[in-house]
Amino acid sequence: MIATAAALRPAPARTAGAGRAGVRLAWLHVRSRRVPAGILALALCGGALRAALHWHWAFSSGPYAQQIPMIIEAGAAAVVTVTSHSPFGETERATGRWLPYLRLFAAAGMCGLAIALLQLGAAGESLNEGILVLARNVTGITGIGLLCSLVTGGLLAWTLPLGYLAFCQYALLQGWTAPWTWPVRPPADRGAWICACAVFTAGLLLFTIRGPRTRLSDEE
Amino acid sequence: MTPAVISLGPGRAPARRMASLAATGRLLRLELKRNVVPYVLPLLAAVFYFDTFRTADGFPPVWTVRASVIGDHMLFEFCAFAGGMAAWAGSRERRRKALDLVASTPRAVWARLSVTLAGTLGWLLLAFLAGVAAIYIPTALQATWGGPPLWPVFAGAAGVIVVTIIGFACGVFFPGRFTAPLVAIGLLVLYQAGFREALGVTASPGTDALLSPASAVPAVDAGVYHHVAPDVPITQVMFMGGIAVALLGVLALAAALRQRAPARDRISWRGWPARGDNWLLRTVAVVLVAAGVAASSTAYSLAGTAKLTATGWEIPALHDAARDRPVPFVPDCRSAPGGFQVCVHPAFSGYLGDVAAALDPVAAEIAGLPGAAVRAEQVASVGTWPHGYGPSHTAGNPPVLEYSGEEVGDLFGVFWGIPAGAGPDWRAGFQQGLLDPFLSEPPHSAAAARTGPAPLGAAQQAVEDALMAAAGSPPPLRIGQHGHSGGPSQAQITAAASRFASLPASARHAWLAAHLAALRAGTITAAQIP
Repeated sequence: MIATAAALRPAPARTAGAGRAGVRLAWLHVRSRRVPAGILALALCGGALRAALHWHWAFSSGPYAQQIPMIIEAGAAAVVTVTSHSPFGETERATGRWLPYLRLFAAAGMCGLAIALLQLGAAGESLNEGILVLARNVTGITGIGLLCSLVTGGLLAWTLPLGYLAFCQYALLQGWTAPWTWPVRPPADRGAWICACAVFTAGLLLFTIRGPRTRLSDEE
Repeated sequence: MTPAVISLGPGRAPARRMASLAATGRLLRLELKRNVVPYVLPLLAAVFYFDTFRTADGFPPVWTVRASVIGDHMLFEFCAFAGGMAAWAGSRERRRKALDLVASTPRAVWARLSVTLAGTLGWLLLAFLAGVAAIYIPTALQATWGGPPLWPVFAGAAGVIVVTIIGFACGVFFPGRFTAPLVAIGLLVLYQAGFREALGVTASPGTDALLSPASAVPAVDAGVYHHVAPDVPITQVMFMGGIAVALLGVLALAAALRQRAPARDRISWRGWPARGDNWLLRTVAVVLVAAGVAASSTAYSLAGTAKLTATGWEIPALHDAARDRPVPFVPDCRSAPGGFQVCVHPAFSGYLGDVAAALDPVAAEIAGLPGAAVRAEQVASVGTWPHGYGPSHTAGNPPVLEYSGEEVGDLFGVFWGIPAGAGPDWRAGFQQGLLDPFLSEPPHSAAAARTGPAPLGAAQQAVEDALMAAAGSPPPLRIGQHGHSGGPSQAQITAAASRFASLPASARHAWLAAHLAALRAGTITAAQIP
């Protein structure tokens, strides 16, 4: 009887404690990935986009008009992918079953935040091709970066997005229409959306399940 | 003891220096072996192939034009990877939490950083030179005239060096996981912003945009008729080199300060410059910073004095007037059986057959008639992109059609692309360029001749279409001539052209000989054409 009562009564307290622990776990996860600094870097990208649009660093029309916004969007995506790096390496994987979920929500949340901050930066300015292309670029290139992190680790995951960006600069000037060159396609291009979302989904899923490659030498 | 030390000192010093050099060499070898840049080279090579190489491959085999991709495309890729990789290398000690560990080694901070920078820069410069070779070797095999220009290579190498040092300095001063991508992105934005400014640069104040290594694509015959003045590349190298040297000095100063930091409490700042240890390093660092700032400021000032001339941008303080003389050449010519001669510059000799095949049939149709060109000759294109080039025109006695590699008739970008790609429209453009001045009223002055022929009337259009149809070409695309208000419709012009084309060649020639003056004066209507 005493044992039953003891077992029943503390239940609400345990739920509250578990909730606090979950929040703390999530906070520790994002801190270990330098997410707060990443948000600052994303804000920097948003500021750079605003400055570029406001002071007309970019062309106002034609194929060149998309270049600087695309570079900054790729930069925001690179920042998101770099936050995937864990300083704990292999040992972190043995700590519990929540790690994949934390990775999933951190990466998806950072991607959404990147789009929001870039949109905030472009608010009130004339952004070539608009918010839809911005969101598609950030999403797709983040997917490329997350896929890259499986091979290179999180800290060097920015290399493939930059390579893709450099290639897209060429595709932009050459007027390529292939859907996998989604940054150069118009906002309503269905194939481009499918490709960008497919790459992001694949990257996010694999990143969630496997996590980035970890090497002790890359500890930060 | 003291005399022994004194006596042995001079003898040991060279040996110590040799040992130090050998140790530095070993360190550099290790750095080259362990550096991260080789791992990124396949990605860089893939991007280089898709962007730079394919772009260069699509250009005609003219040295100056092919070399322009170094600044316009190749440097963009190197901005992304060189800056990011250098930042990655610069932040290595901090990233691997090895600051305390390496601080206990006998190597000074500056020496360690120098070796890391040298290793990174060495790999990147090697990749850059390999890329230049990949552009220049096929060009050497395809080009029929001229030699490889070196100034674009120097400017490109200076760009790679400065980007690497900027990235490295950022990595040293702001080590962190976000530094490398942010530096790469920042450099790319800087590059593109400079490119935008360089495209819009005019002769008015603001020519400092010429310091951007990326600029507009040159005319297809740039460097062919006149040497490309090295004035602008010299200022670019001076500007970027100055930034690089100043940053090296800042890195050395920072290293000296970092070494000195633990002793901050014991030694006063006032005595710092005169302090015995590392005084040489500090002095050299200050000199480097001063020299770099001076070089960059000078280059900036020089770029502001640039003037646009017929041969390109000139900077008076650097310009060598002796290089303004035209480059001597012997044109490649081919004569048709009817006597019409087609000439191209030897740099474009690959196009000679196509140009002759386009012009010979229509030249035969008008041979011997008053004002008919007896020769077509390529001349230097006058103008710049995107402002436009001078049109083709007929001048001299006997008349000679003068066309450029950029424009003939309404055909633009004449010699852009690889020879043997001549389609019907390309041929029609040349034929129109020959017939337009023949059929229109002769210009009354040399200046008017250089503005190109006046738009054709309906009858003139019909005759031109007929002569081109007889030569097997489609009617030309007429820019700005979409019908004549109050005159015959396009259908009537086409019908007149069909009638005239169906006549025997001798009958056409005879009619033209009899009515050419009236046709040029516009007193013949389309209905009067037989």
